[in-house]
Amino acid sequence: MTHDDYRELLAAHALTALDAENTRALNTHLESCADCRSEMNDWQDAVALLALDPNPVEPSPNVRERILASARAEGDAGRPANDRAVAIASSSESPGESKVLAFELERPPRNIWTSLGALGAMAATLAFVALIISLIVLWQQNRATQKELARLSTETRQARAQLDHERVVVELLTSPDAHMAKLSGTNAAPGAHAMLAYDKNGHAMLLAKGLPAAPKGMAYQLWYIKDNKKMPGKMFVPDAAGNGILEDQIPPVARDQAVFAITLEPESGVQVPTGSIYLLSAS
Amino acid sequence: MSLAVQPGSAEVPDVELLHAVARGDEGALARLYDAYRVILFGLLVRILNSREEAEDILQDVFIQVWRRAKDFDEKRGRPFTWLVTLTRSRAIDRLRLLSARQRLVTGAAQEQTEVVSDALTDTIRGSQKEIVRRALAELPEEQRHTLVLAYFEGLTQSEIAAKLGAPLGTVKTRMRSGMIKLRTLLGSQLENFG
Repeated sequence: MTHDDYRELLAAHALTALDAENTRALNTHLESCADCRSEMNDWQDAVALLALDPNPVEPSPNVRERILASARAEGDAGRPANDRAVAIASSSESPGESKVLAFELERPPRNIWTSLGALGAMAATLAFVALIISLIVLWQQNRATQKELARLSTETRQARAQLDHERVVVELLTSPDAHMAKLSGTNAAPGAHAMLAYDKNGHAMLLAKGLPAAPKGMAYQLWYIKDNKKMPGKMFVPDAAGNGILEDQIPPVARDQAVFAITLEPESGVQVPTGSIYLLSAS
Repeated sequence: MSLAVQPGSAEVPDVELLHAVARGDEGALARLYDAYRVILFGLLVRILNSREEAEDILQDVFIQVWRRAKDFDEKRGRPFTWLVTLTRSRAIDRLRLLSARQRLVTGAAQEQTEVVSDALTDTIRGSQKEIVRRALAELPEEQRHTLVLAYFEGLTQSEIAAKLGAPLGTVKTRMRSGMIKLRTLLGSQLENFG
């Protein structure tokens, strides 16, 4: 394809309407063509305005709360130390901390070094102090880099696990005999909901959202209920955002017309439900 | 909603809010959410036709904003474009994940959603919204329909051709012509918005 051929594709690419082959080819071209990248940005700006066409709708107030709770939970653990330092130093609400940093870096030398006879010692000491400061800076940078690497590594692992789970869900949903059940939150967790997808062999994947954090020593347990018989499934603990994923095998007897429920139980699991029901499918 | 955080007319520009989010400022995240929630949620409801799914994605989007704000580069695009692109991308992914059966059931049910009041709508870029609607309405029906199928249903050109029973070349021409006309009609808005 020529440059003009690629330009012809940009508008459709902004709508993500190109087929996979053209998308790959155009993405490769965009990496090396600044003109097309610039034009692509213009098309994306135009396409974004289409978001104004639907009627604005107010989400539930608890969405805001969940987002901010997640951000708060990730805030300290998930961000590199140097990012937090910048945030603190630039925050008008915490002038004290930035003043402390400035004071320590600008602390004046002691009077003893004003003696002319001690110039050599002073130079050596200054060099030593500079060396120590350099070492501290390098150590801090190294520590920050290690934290960033650890964070990225964790994110990569989580993203890979999420992709694996989603792949399983897609395979389940696209299998010829796919079944899917929606679980709604009970009064114990009105904001929670979940989806259980399973195939004819009973291979099941549960995706739950909005669950309250499980207390220490407790976990959520999946139940298969058929004709009032309650069969225990596996356990899971949701993440800080209340999201939980569980892969399980549904007993043959529960693969047709069963009810699915999630209860909070001791983390070792129980054979008969003892805790409150948090999620329940329609009967 | 504070006027200070409304898109495109902000006392605190959205770019600065995103930079603050990148530094770990939860207040800035809350202000971005307050500024854009009804627009983005309206878009999600339109694409997914389900409040439940839309709230799920809205939550994911803003958690991604929290994690990825440091990747935002104002030289490469506007904050509004970045937010909408992220939101639509997640929505289309979810749409494709949902089974055809569920989509049919949900489509038949046509979930009712409560549209925010006219007063609030007016506050949120009502005039720009009207301009976008008028621009879409000015497009020839076949061009508008092609854009709507791509943008709100996430269909590719080949899928649109199959759905409409039209030649692929025709769909490509309609899409490009529609986009060129739309960009011309929205020209002044592109300069003004976020």
